[in-house]
Amino acid sequence: MTYITLLLLASITFTTRYLFLEGKLPIRLGPNIRCLLSFSGPAVLTAIFIPILFIHQQQLDISMSNAYLWGGLAASIAAYKTSSVYWTIALGTGLFLLTGMFF
Amino acid sequence: MIKRQKALLAAVSKGAVDMLPLSLAVLPWGILFGSLAIQRGLSGFEAQLFSALVFGGAVQIVTVELMAENASLVTILFSALIISSRHFLYGLTLREKLRVQPLSWRMSIGFLLTDELFSLSGHPRAYQNKFRLYYALGAGGSFYFAWNTWTAVGIVAGSWLPDLTKLGLDFAIAATFIALVVPEIKHLSTLVCVVVSAFFALVFSLFDVAFGLVAAAILGMLAGFFVQKLRSK
Repeated sequence: MTYITLLLLASITFTTRYLFLEGKLPIRLGPNIRCLLSFSGPAVLTAIFIPILFIHQQQLDISMSNAYLWGGLAASIAAYKTSSVYWTIALGTGLFLLTGMFF
Repeated sequence: MIKRQKALLAAVSKGAVDMLPLSLAVLPWGILFGSLAIQRGLSGFEAQLFSALVFGGAVQIVTVELMAENASLVTILFSALIISSRHFLYGLTLREKLRVQPLSWRMSIGFLLTDELFSLSGHPRAYQNKFRLYYALGAGGSFYFAWNTWTAVGIVAGSWLPDLTKLGLDFAIAATFIALVVPEIKHLSTLVCVVVSAFFALVFSLFDVAFGLVAAAILGMLAGFFVQKLRSK
């Protein structure tokens, strides 16, 4: 059972990644669609990380005691100032852990 | 010939080096998956096979939780499809660059096309020549290796680690994605895109909308697109 589930899951993740790389699909992308798609990276990643920061136990958590927000703020400033993944994660996680201990 | 091989090898290692911070940042997430899988009753071999074949962090973690709750196969597959559906956008974005490449390249890059590899695919000439294909192979392949290594560590440590799901390890994901998004905000259009996507991601997530993540992303993309069109007039 586990193995069937595994194989089906693997085919789902692979299909979602591969499908549109297939040249035989009869899809042509015009310049407007291509311009639209150029925003896909930041749009998708933002839609993933914002709920991690703001939503806990299915509720919006905007309070001083939300360590995720402090960590996210530090990470954003670090990313803006340094553009370095290392610094962003180090400073973000640092403040996240620190505020998590305080509150 | 030897020179060319050396150059290709250099491209592979440059890819791996550029990916290194992301490969390290996924460590907590990989250990979380490995230990969770063991704690929820999978064998070590099954858990490792998840990372080797499925190769998608969120899909794997959600699936293991669902299996432990005895969810139906349909539920498991549908939730995997929802979580994975964002990759359709990545495939579409890279389509014009990759559809002309040979099948073996398309299959390998397709298999390795995670959020992380996609975020290293922004160069205008990405995937356009042999070196850039090998670069992507080095980046994606090293990330695959890292994900499987961290999973193995989680599996080995799993039996004596506490339940890690409550420890806030998901913050590492958030911080990584902040590192990838914030430096990309160079124009008003991208800023609007990100703000709109963030807003709808919160709304859809609070109201538990299926495919909310992709819907929020598409609304953000549309907003960015219109701002760019207005400003270029």
